[in-house]
Amino acid sequence: MSFLDIHDLGARYGSLRVLDGIDLSVEQGEVVSLIGPSGSGKSTLLKVITGLMKPDRGRVTLAGAAVDYSNRKSLKAARDRLAIVFQQYNLFGNMTVLRNVTVAPTTIKKRNRRQVEEKARELLDRVGLGDKLHVYPDQLSGGQQQRVAIARALCLEPEILLLDEVTSALDPERVSEVLDTIRLLAKDNIAMLIVSHEMSFVRDVSHRIAFMADGRVQEIGSPEQIFDNPQTDRTRDFVGRISRVGH
Amino acid sequence: MHYTLHFGQVTPEIPYLLWGALISLELSVMAFAGGMVIGMVGAIMRLRGGRWLSRLARWYVTFFTNTPQLVQIYFIFFALPEVGILLDPFPAVLLGMTLNAGGYLTEILRAGLASVHQQELDAAETLGMSHLQTLRYVILPHIFKVVMPAMTNQYILMTLGTSMAAIFGVEELTGRAFNINSTTFRSIEIFLLTGGIYVLVTLAATSLLALVGRYAFRARVRIL
Repeated sequence: MSFLDIHDLGARYGSLRVLDGIDLSVEQGEVVSLIGPSGSGKSTLLKVITGLMKPDRGRVTLAGAAVDYSNRKSLKAARDRLAIVFQQYNLFGNMTVLRNVTVAPTTIKKRNRRQVEEKARELLDRVGLGDKLHVYPDQLSGGQQQRVAIARALCLEPEILLLDEVTSALDPERVSEVLDTIRLLAKDNIAMLIVSHEMSFVRDVSHRIAFMADGRVQEIGSPEQIFDNPQTDRTRDFVGRISRVGH
Repeated sequence: MHYTLHFGQVTPEIPYLLWGALISLELSVMAFAGGMVIGMVGAIMRLRGGRWLSRLARWYVTFFTNTPQLVQIYFIFFALPEVGILLDPFPAVLLGMTLNAGGYLTEILRAGLASVHQQELDAAETLGMSHLQTLRYVILPHIFKVVMPAMTNQYILMTLGTSMAAIFGVEELTGRAFNINSTTFRSIEIFLLTGGIYVLVTLAATSLLALVGRYAFRARVRIL
Protein backbone atom coordinates (compact mmCIF):
# COMPACT_ATOMS: atom_id res chain seq x y z
CA MET A 1 0.00 0.00 0.00
CA SER A 2 1.14 3.55 -0.73
CA PHE A 3 2.18 5.95 2.01
CA LEU A 4 -0.81 8.18 1.32
CA ASP A 5 -3.73 6.44 -0.24
CA ILE A 6 -6.93 8.23 -1.18
CA HIS A 7 -9.93 6.32 -2.39
CA ASP A 8 -13.24 7.69 -3.71
CA LEU A 9 -12.91 10.86 -1.62
CA GLY A 10 -15.82 13.30 -1.76
CA ALA A 11 -16.51 16.67 -0.15
CA ARG A 12 -18.81 19.62 -0.64
CA TYR A 13 -19.40 23.20 0.39
CA GLY A 14 -23.10 23.21 1.22
CA SER A 15 -24.85 21.92 -1.86
CA LEU A 16 -21.84 22.48 -4.12
CA ARG A 17 -19.86 19.31 -4.72
CA VAL A 18 -16.14 20.11 -4.92
CA LEU A 19 -14.58 16.66 -4.63
CA ASP A 20 -16.32 13.91 -6.48
CA GLY A 21 -14.54 10.62 -5.99
CA ILE A 22 -10.82 11.32 -5.82
CA ASP A 23 -8.46 8.38 -6.22
CA LEU A 24 -4.83 9.23 -5.64
CA SER A 25 -1.73 7.81 -4.02
CA VAL A 26 1.66 9.12 -2.96
CA GLU A 27 4.56 6.78 -2.26
CA GLN A 28 7.22 7.38 0.34
CA GLY A 29 9.64 10.00 -0.94
CA GLU A 30 7.54 10.65 -4.01
CA VAL A 31 6.63 14.14 -5.27
CA VAL A 32 3.15 14.31 -6.76
CA SER A 33 1.72 17.54 -8.14
CA LEU A 34 -1.87 18.51 -8.69
CA ILE A 35 -2.65 20.77 -11.60
CA GLY A 36 -5.93 21.91 -13.09
CA PRO A 37 -8.18 24.90 -13.57
CA SER A 38 -9.30 27.06 -10.65
CA GLY A 39 -12.20 25.49 -8.82
CA SER A 40 -11.23 21.97 -9.79
CA GLY A 41 -10.84 20.99 -6.12
CA LYS A 42 -7.03 20.91 -5.74
CA SER A 43 -6.81 23.09 -2.63
CA THR A 44 -9.95 21.52 -1.20
CA LEU A 45 -8.30 18.13 -1.49
CA LEU A 46 -5.40 19.33 0.69
CA LYS A 47 -7.90 20.83 3.16
CA VAL A 48 -9.68 17.51 3.44
CA ILE A 49 -6.45 15.53 3.86
CA THR A 50 -5.38 17.81 6.72
CA GLY A 51 -8.79 17.71 8.36
CA LEU A 52 -9.65 21.40 7.88
CA MET A 53 -12.69 20.23 5.97
CA LYS A 54 -14.63 17.01 6.50
CA PRO A 55 -15.09 14.56 3.64
CA ASP A 56 -18.58 13.21 3.04
CA ARG A 57 -17.45 9.97 1.51
CA GLY A 58 -14.40 7.92 0.70
CA ARG A 59 -11.26 6.94 2.58
CA VAL A 60 -7.84 8.40 3.34
CA THR A 61 -5.12 6.06 4.53
CA LEU A 62 -1.86 7.43 5.87
CA ALA A 63 1.07 5.11 6.60
CA GLY A 64 -1.27 2.14 6.59
CA ALA A 65 -3.80 3.62 9.04
CA ALA A 66 -7.23 4.81 7.88
CA VAL A 67 -7.88 8.38 9.03
CA ASP A 68 -11.16 8.87 10.86
CA TYR A 69 -11.84 12.60 10.49
CA SER A 70 -14.54 12.65 13.14
CA ASN A 71 -12.20 11.12 15.71
CA ARG A 72 -9.82 13.61 17.32
CA LYS A 73 -7.26 10.98 18.22
CA SER A 74 -7.11 9.54 14.74
CA LEU A 75 -6.90 13.03 13.24
CA LYS A 76 -4.08 13.98 15.60
CA ALA A 77 -2.17 10.83 14.68
CA ALA A 78 -2.51 11.77 11.00
CA ARG A 79 -1.45 15.35 11.63
CA ASP A 80 1.64 14.08 13.42
CA ARG A 81 2.80 12.65 10.12
CA LEU A 82 1.99 15.52 7.80
CA ALA A 83 2.56 19.22 7.49
CA ILE A 84 1.02 21.80 5.20
CA VAL A 85 2.26 25.11 3.81
CA PHE A 86 -0.50 27.51 2.83
CA GLN A 87 -0.85 29.97 0.00
CA GLN A 88 -1.06 32.89 2.47
CA TYR A 89 1.80 31.58 4.68
CA ASN A 90 -0.48 31.68 7.78
CA LEU A 91 2.36 32.58 10.15
CA PHE A 92 1.50 33.62 13.70
CA GLY A 93 1.79 37.40 13.72
CA ASN A 94 2.47 37.61 17.44
CA MET A 95 5.53 35.33 17.33
CA THR A 96 9.05 35.84 16.06
CA VAL A 97 10.31 33.82 13.12
CA LEU A 98 12.12 31.40 15.44
CA ARG A 99 9.08 30.99 17.70
CA ASN A 100 6.82 30.38 14.69
CA VAL A 101 9.05 27.49 13.72
CA THR A 102 9.51 26.02 17.21
CA VAL A 103 6.09 26.52 18.80
CA ALA A 104 4.49 23.34 17.52
CA PRO A 105 7.39 20.91 18.13
CA THR A 106 8.04 22.24 21.65
CA THR A 107 4.55 22.89 22.98
CA ILE A 108 2.52 20.29 21.14
CA LYS A 109 4.95 17.50 20.47
CA LYS A 110 6.86 18.24 23.69
CA ARG A 111 10.23 17.77 22.09
CA ASN A 112 13.38 19.01 23.76
CA ARG A 113 13.44 22.81 23.38
CA ARG A 114 17.17 23.09 22.83
CA GLN A 115 17.24 20.42 20.14
CA VAL A 116 14.21 21.90 18.41
CA GLU A 117 15.78 25.36 18.40
CA GLU A 118 18.98 23.98 16.97
CA LYS A 119 17.02 22.26 14.24
CA ALA A 120 14.97 25.41 13.60
CA ARG A 121 18.11 27.52 13.23
CA GLU A 122 19.52 24.98 10.81
CA LEU A 123 16.31 24.96 8.74
CA LEU A 124 16.05 28.74 8.70
CA ASP A 125 19.67 28.89 7.64
CA ARG A 126 18.87 26.50 4.85
CA VAL A 127 16.02 28.62 3.55
CA GLY A 128 18.28 31.66 3.74
CA LEU A 129 16.78 33.32 6.80
CA GLY A 130 19.39 32.53 9.41
CA ASP A 131 19.73 36.24 10.16
CA LYS A 132 16.00 36.83 10.70
CA LEU A 133 15.38 34.63 13.72
CA HIS A 134 14.10 37.37 15.99
CA VAL A 135 12.06 39.48 13.61
CA TYR A 136 8.28 39.29 13.29
CA PRO A 137 6.42 38.10 10.16
CA ASP A 138 5.16 41.58 9.31
CA GLN A 139 8.77 42.73 8.97
CA LEU A 140 9.42 40.20 6.19
CA SER A 141 8.60 40.13 2.49
CA GLY A 142 6.06 37.63 1.19
CA GLY A 143 8.77 35.32 -0.14
CA GLN A 144 10.61 35.37 3.17
CA GLN A 145 7.40 34.65 5.07
CA GLN A 146 6.69 31.74 2.81
CA ARG A 147 10.16 30.33 3.43
CA VAL A 148 9.55 30.64 7.19
CA ALA A 149 6.31 28.72 6.67
CA ILE A 150 8.26 25.99 4.86
CA ALA A 151 10.81 25.85 7.69
CA ARG A 152 7.95 25.66 10.21
CA ALA A 153 6.43 22.74 8.37
CA LEU A 154 9.77 20.95 8.11
CA CYS A 155 10.61 21.43 11.79
CA LEU A 156 7.70 19.09 12.54
CA GLU A 157 9.71 16.41 10.71
CA PRO A 158 6.69 15.37 8.63
CA GLU A 159 6.68 12.27 6.53
CA ILE A 160 4.68 14.05 3.90
CA LEU A 161 4.57 17.75 3.08
CA LEU A 162 1.54 19.36 1.46
CA LEU A 163 2.11 22.60 -0.44
CA ASP A 164 -0.93 24.64 -1.38
CA GLU A 165 -0.15 27.13 -4.17
CA VAL A 166 2.77 28.40 -2.15
CA THR A 167 3.89 30.89 -4.78
CA SER A 168 0.62 32.38 -5.97
CA ALA A 169 0.56 35.20 -3.40
CA LEU A 170 4.14 36.22 -4.19
CA ASP A 171 5.64 38.87 -6.42
CA PRO A 172 7.18 37.30 -9.53
CA GLU A 173 10.73 37.98 -8.34
CA ARG A 174 10.04 36.15 -5.08
CA VAL A 175 8.69 33.03 -6.74
CA SER A 176 12.02 31.53 -7.66
CA GLU A 177 13.47 31.79 -4.15
CA VAL A 178 10.60 29.70 -2.79
CA LEU A 179 10.67 27.21 -5.65
CA ASP A 180 14.42 26.75 -5.24
CA THR A 181 13.83 25.91 -1.58
CA ILE A 182 11.27 23.27 -2.53
CA ARG A 183 13.57 21.82 -5.17
CA LEU A 184 16.15 21.28 -2.46
CA LEU A 185 13.59 19.43 -0.36
CA ALA A 186 12.59 17.21 -3.24
CA LYS A 187 16.14 15.92 -3.29
CA ASP A 188 15.82 15.04 0.41
CA ASN A 189 13.46 12.20 -0.30
CA ILE A 190 10.51 13.68 1.56
CA ALA A 191 7.08 12.86 0.13
CA MET A 192 5.25 15.89 -1.20
CA LEU A 193 1.84 16.66 -2.57
CA ILE A 194 2.02 19.97 -4.40
CA VAL A 195 -0.74 22.19 -5.74
CA SER A 196 0.79 24.67 -8.13
CA HIS A 197 0.21 26.80 -11.19
CA GLU A 198 3.94 27.01 -11.92
CA MET A 199 4.01 24.50 -14.75
CA SER A 200 7.72 24.49 -15.47
CA PHE A 201 8.42 23.98 -11.77
CA VAL A 202 5.86 21.19 -11.51
CA ARG A 203 7.33 19.48 -14.54
CA ASP A 204 10.81 19.78 -13.14
CA VAL A 205 10.19 18.63 -9.59
CA SER A 206 7.42 16.00 -9.79
CA HIS A 207 7.64 12.26 -10.15
CA ARG A 208 3.99 12.16 -11.13
CA ILE A 209 1.40 14.78 -12.01
CA ALA A 210 -2.35 14.53 -11.53
CA PHE A 211 -4.63 16.66 -13.65
CA MET A 212 -7.82 17.57 -11.81
CA ALA A 213 -11.08 18.98 -13.11
CA ASP A 214 -14.63 18.98 -11.75
CA GLY A 215 -13.55 17.50 -8.43
CA ARG A 216 -11.93 14.43 -9.97
CA VAL A 217 -8.51 13.26 -11.03
CA GLN A 218 -8.92 13.13 -14.80
CA GLU A 219 -5.48 11.82 -15.57
CA ILE A 220 -2.35 10.93 -13.67
CA GLY A 221 1.04 10.17 -15.11
CA SER A 222 4.66 11.16 -15.50
CA PRO A 223 5.43 14.81 -16.32
CA GLU A 224 6.28 13.73 -19.86
CA GLN A 225 2.95 11.99 -20.28
CA ILE A 226 0.89 14.90 -18.91
CA PHE A 227 2.69 17.65 -20.80
CA ASP A 228 3.84 15.93 -23.98
CA ASN A 229 1.46 13.09 -24.49
CA PRO A 230 -1.77 13.62 -22.53
CA GLN A 231 -4.23 10.76 -22.75
CA THR A 232 -7.52 12.59 -22.23
CA ASP A 233 -9.06 15.48 -24.13
CA ARG A 234 -9.52 17.53 -20.94
CA THR A 235 -5.82 17.29 -20.08
CA ARG A 236 -4.79 18.03 -23.67
CA ASP A 237 -7.05 21.05 -23.73
CA PHE A 238 -5.73 22.38 -20.38
CA VAL A 239 -2.07 21.79 -21.19
CA GLY A 240 -2.58 23.32 -24.63
CA ARG A 241 -4.11 26.43 -23.14
CA ILE A 242 -1.48 26.99 -20.48
CA SER A 243 1.37 26.45 -22.90
CA ARG A 244 -0.18 29.09 -25.15
CA VAL A 245 -0.13 31.64 -22.31
CA GLY A 246 3.53 30.97 -21.84
CA HIS A 247 3.89 28.81 -18.74
CA MET B 1 -10.33 88.06 40.50
CA HIS B 2 -8.47 88.49 43.75
CA TYR B 3 -7.90 85.08 45.12
CA THR B 4 -4.73 84.01 46.87
CA LEU B 5 -4.01 80.33 46.79
CA HIS B 6 -3.31 78.90 50.24
CA PHE B 7 -2.08 75.36 49.94
CA GLY B 8 -0.86 75.43 53.56
CA GLN B 9 -4.20 74.25 54.91
CA VAL B 10 -4.47 71.51 52.32
CA THR B 11 -1.01 69.95 52.08
CA PRO B 12 -1.24 68.12 55.44
CA GLU B 13 -4.20 66.27 53.90
CA ILE B 14 -2.17 64.86 51.01
CA PRO B 15 -1.58 61.44 52.64
CA TYR B 16 -5.32 61.26 53.42
CA LEU B 17 -6.09 61.98 49.76
CA LEU B 18 -3.50 59.50 48.52
CA TRP B 19 -5.07 56.73 50.58
CA GLY B 20 -8.32 57.74 48.95
CA ALA B 21 -6.67 57.41 45.54
CA LEU B 22 -5.71 53.87 46.52
CA ILE B 23 -9.38 53.07 47.16
CA SER B 24 -10.25 54.56 43.74
CA LEU B 25 -7.57 52.37 42.19
CA GLU B 26 -8.85 49.33 44.04
CA LEU B 27 -12.36 50.00 42.77
CA SER B 28 -11.25 50.49 39.17
CA VAL B 29 -8.95 47.44 39.10
CA MET B 30 -11.60 45.15 40.60
CA ALA B 31 -14.36 46.47 38.34
CA PHE B 32 -12.08 46.17 35.30
CA ALA B 33 -11.14 42.59 36.17
CA GLY B 34 -14.80 41.66 36.64
CA GLY B 35 -15.70 43.52 33.46
CA MET B 36 -13.04 41.54 31.56
CA VAL B 37 -14.60 38.25 32.65
CA ILE B 38 -18.05 39.43 31.55
CA GLY B 39 -16.51 40.90 28.38
CA MET B 40 -14.81 37.65 27.39
CA VAL B 41 -17.92 35.57 27.96
CA GLY B 42 -20.01 38.22 26.21
CA ALA B 43 -17.68 38.43 23.22
CA ILE B 44 -17.66 34.66 22.77
CA MET B 45 -21.47 34.60 23.10
CA ARG B 46 -21.78 37.38 20.52
CA LEU B 47 -19.62 35.63 17.94
CA ARG B 48 -19.98 31.93 18.63
CA GLY B 49 -23.06 31.67 20.80
CA GLY B 50 -25.62 30.88 18.15
CA ARG B 51 -28.79 32.87 17.70
CA TRP B 52 -30.12 33.21 21.26
CA LEU B 53 -26.91 33.57 23.26
CA SER B 54 -25.65 36.11 20.74
CA ARG B 55 -28.90 38.03 21.04
CA LEU B 56 -28.75 37.90 24.82
CA ALA B 57 -25.23 39.37 24.81
CA ARG B 58 -26.35 42.08 22.40
CA TRP B 59 -29.23 43.08 24.68
CA TYR B 60 -26.86 43.22 27.62
CA VAL B 61 -24.47 45.50 25.73
CA THR B 62 -27.31 47.71 24.50
CA PHE B 63 -28.71 48.11 27.99
CA PHE B 64 -25.46 48.84 29.79
CA THR B 65 -23.92 51.10 27.17
CA ASN B 66 -27.06 53.15 26.58
CA THR B 67 -28.01 54.06 30.13
CA PRO B 68 -25.96 56.33 32.39
CA GLN B 69 -23.66 54.51 34.75
CA LEU B 70 -24.90 56.71 37.60
CA VAL B 71 -28.45 55.56 36.98
CA GLN B 72 -27.29 51.92 36.97
CA ILE B 73 -25.56 52.34 40.33
CA TYR B 74 -28.55 54.21 41.76
CA PHE B 75 -30.71 51.32 40.69
CA ILE B 76 -28.47 48.78 42.41
CA PHE B 77 -28.16 50.91 45.53
CA PHE B 78 -31.75 52.05 45.97
CA ALA B 79 -33.97 49.65 44.04
CA LEU B 80 -32.43 46.31 44.94
CA PRO B 81 -33.14 46.73 48.69
CA GLU B 82 -36.84 46.62 47.71
CA VAL B 83 -36.34 42.98 46.75
CA GLY B 84 -34.26 42.27 49.83
CA ILE B 85 -30.78 42.81 48.36
CA LEU B 86 -29.09 45.41 50.50
CA LEU B 87 -25.54 46.32 49.49
CA ASP B 88 -23.04 48.60 51.20
CA PRO B 89 -21.86 51.58 49.12
CA PHE B 90 -18.54 50.05 48.03
CA PRO B 91 -19.93 46.70 46.76
CA ALA B 92 -22.90 48.48 45.19
CA VAL B 93 -20.65 50.84 43.23
CA LEU B 94 -18.28 47.98 42.38
CA LEU B 95 -21.16 45.87 41.06
CA GLY B 96 -22.53 48.77 39.03
CA MET B 97 -19.15 49.61 37.54
CA THR B 98 -18.39 45.94 36.79
CA LEU B 99 -21.67 45.38 34.95
CA ASN B 100 -21.19 48.60 33.01
CA ALA B 101 -17.58 47.75 32.12
CA GLY B 102 -18.77 44.30 31.04
CA GLY B 103 -20.95 45.93 28.39
CA TYR B 104 -18.16 48.06 26.91
CA LEU B 105 -15.53 45.33 27.17
CA THR B 106 -17.83 42.85 25.43
CA GLU B 107 -17.82 45.14 22.41
CA ILE B 108 -14.07 45.81 22.58
CA LEU B 109 -13.17 42.12 22.90
CA ARG B 110 -15.72 41.12 20.26
CA ALA B 111 -13.94 43.38 17.79
CA GLY B 112 -10.61 41.80 18.81
CA LEU B 113 -11.94 38.26 18.49
CA ALA B 114 -13.49 39.02 15.12
CA SER B 115 -10.11 40.21 13.85
CA VAL B 116 -8.32 36.89 14.49
CA HIS B 117 -7.28 35.63 11.05
CA GLN B 118 -8.86 32.38 9.96
CA GLN B 119 -5.52 31.49 8.34
CA GLU B 120 -3.75 31.55 11.69
CA LEU B 121 -6.47 29.34 13.16
CA ASP B 122 -6.09 26.91 10.24
CA ALA B 123 -2.32 26.84 10.81
CA ALA B 124 -2.79 26.21 14.54
CA GLU B 125 -5.20 23.38 13.81
CA THR B 126 -3.02 21.64 11.25
CA LEU B 127 0.03 22.02 13.49
CA GLY B 128 -1.94 19.95 15.99
CA MET B 129 -2.80 22.57 18.62
CA SER B 130 -5.74 21.81 20.89
CA HIS B 131 -8.50 24.42 21.35
CA LEU B 132 -6.90 25.54 24.60
CA GLN B 133 -3.43 25.81 23.06
CA THR B 134 -4.85 27.79 20.14
CA LEU B 135 -6.55 30.13 22.60
CA ARG B 136 -3.36 30.60 24.60
CA TYR B 137 -0.77 30.88 21.84
CA VAL B 138 -2.73 32.39 18.97
CA ILE B 139 -6.10 33.91 19.85
CA LEU B 140 -5.45 35.75 23.13
CA PRO B 141 -2.12 37.36 22.11
CA HIS B 142 -3.75 38.53 18.90
CA ILE B 143 -6.82 39.94 20.66
CA PHE B 144 -4.78 41.78 23.28
CA LYS B 145 -2.51 43.26 20.66
CA VAL B 146 -5.49 44.62 18.76
CA VAL B 147 -7.61 45.81 21.67
CA MET B 148 -4.89 47.15 23.98
CA PRO B 149 -5.41 50.85 23.09
CA ALA B 150 -9.21 50.61 23.43
CA MET B 151 -8.86 48.66 26.66
CA THR B 152 -6.48 51.25 28.09
CA ASN B 153 -8.97 54.01 27.28
CA GLN B 154 -11.74 52.05 28.92
CA TYR B 155 -9.63 51.57 32.02
CA ILE B 156 -8.85 55.30 32.27
CA LEU B 157 -12.53 56.19 31.89
CA MET B 158 -13.31 53.72 34.66
CA THR B 159 -10.63 55.13 36.97
CA LEU B 160 -12.07 58.60 36.51
CA GLY B 161 -15.57 57.19 36.85
CA THR B 162 -14.80 55.92 40.35
CA SER B 163 -15.42 59.51 41.51
CA MET B 164 -19.11 58.66 41.25
CA ALA B 165 -18.65 56.48 44.30
CA ALA B 166 -18.39 59.67 46.36
CA ILE B 167 -22.10 60.28 45.80
CA PHE B 168 -22.83 57.01 47.58
CA GLY B 169 -20.54 57.79 50.48
CA VAL B 170 -17.48 55.77 49.49
CA GLU B 171 -14.45 57.63 50.79
CA GLU B 172 -12.29 57.36 47.73
CA LEU B 173 -10.32 60.28 46.31
CA THR B 174 -13.25 62.54 45.40
CA GLY B 175 -15.14 61.56 48.55
CA ARG B 176 -12.18 62.57 50.65
CA ALA B 177 -11.82 65.81 48.73
CA PHE B 178 -15.48 66.53 49.60
CA ASN B 179 -14.70 65.85 53.27
CA ILE B 180 -11.73 68.25 53.36
CA ASN B 181 -13.69 70.84 51.46
CA SER B 182 -16.50 70.80 54.00
CA THR B 183 -14.11 71.62 56.82
CA THR B 184 -11.61 73.98 55.15
CA PHE B 185 -13.67 75.53 52.33
CA ARG B 186 -10.46 75.78 50.29
CA SER B 187 -12.27 74.36 47.26
CA ILE B 188 -9.90 75.62 44.56
CA GLU B 189 -6.77 74.26 46.24
CA ILE B 190 -8.43 70.98 47.17
CA PHE B 191 -9.84 70.24 43.75
CA LEU B 192 -6.66 71.36 42.00
CA LEU B 193 -4.76 68.91 44.15
CA THR B 194 -7.35 66.17 43.66
CA GLY B 195 -7.26 66.72 39.90
CA GLY B 196 -3.45 66.49 40.00
CA ILE B 197 -3.61 63.17 41.83
CA TYR B 198 -6.11 61.81 39.26
CA VAL B 199 -3.71 62.81 36.48
CA LEU B 200 -0.82 61.03 38.21
CA VAL B 201 -2.88 57.89 38.83
CA THR B 202 -4.17 57.65 35.27
CA LEU B 203 -0.76 58.43 33.76
CA ALA B 204 0.80 55.69 35.87
CA ALA B 205 -1.90 53.24 34.86
CA THR B 206 -1.65 54.16 31.17
CA SER B 207 2.12 53.77 31.17
CA LEU B 208 1.91 50.43 32.90
CA LEU B 209 -0.71 49.13 30.47
CA ALA B 210 1.27 50.51 27.53
CA LEU B 211 4.40 48.73 28.75
CA VAL B 212 2.53 45.46 29.14
CA GLY B 213 0.91 45.95 25.74
CA ARG B 214 4.12 46.78 23.98
CA TYR B 215 6.35 44.10 25.40
CA ALA B 216 3.89 41.28 25.98
CA PHE B 217 1.64 41.70 22.95
CA ARG B 218 3.55 43.97 20.55
CA ALA B 219 0.67 46.42 20.65
CA ARG B 220 1.37 49.71 18.91
CA VAL B 221 0.82 52.01 21.86
CA ARG B 222 2.72 55.09 22.88
CA ILE B 223 4.26 55.19 26.33
CA LEU B 224 3.70 58.83 27.42
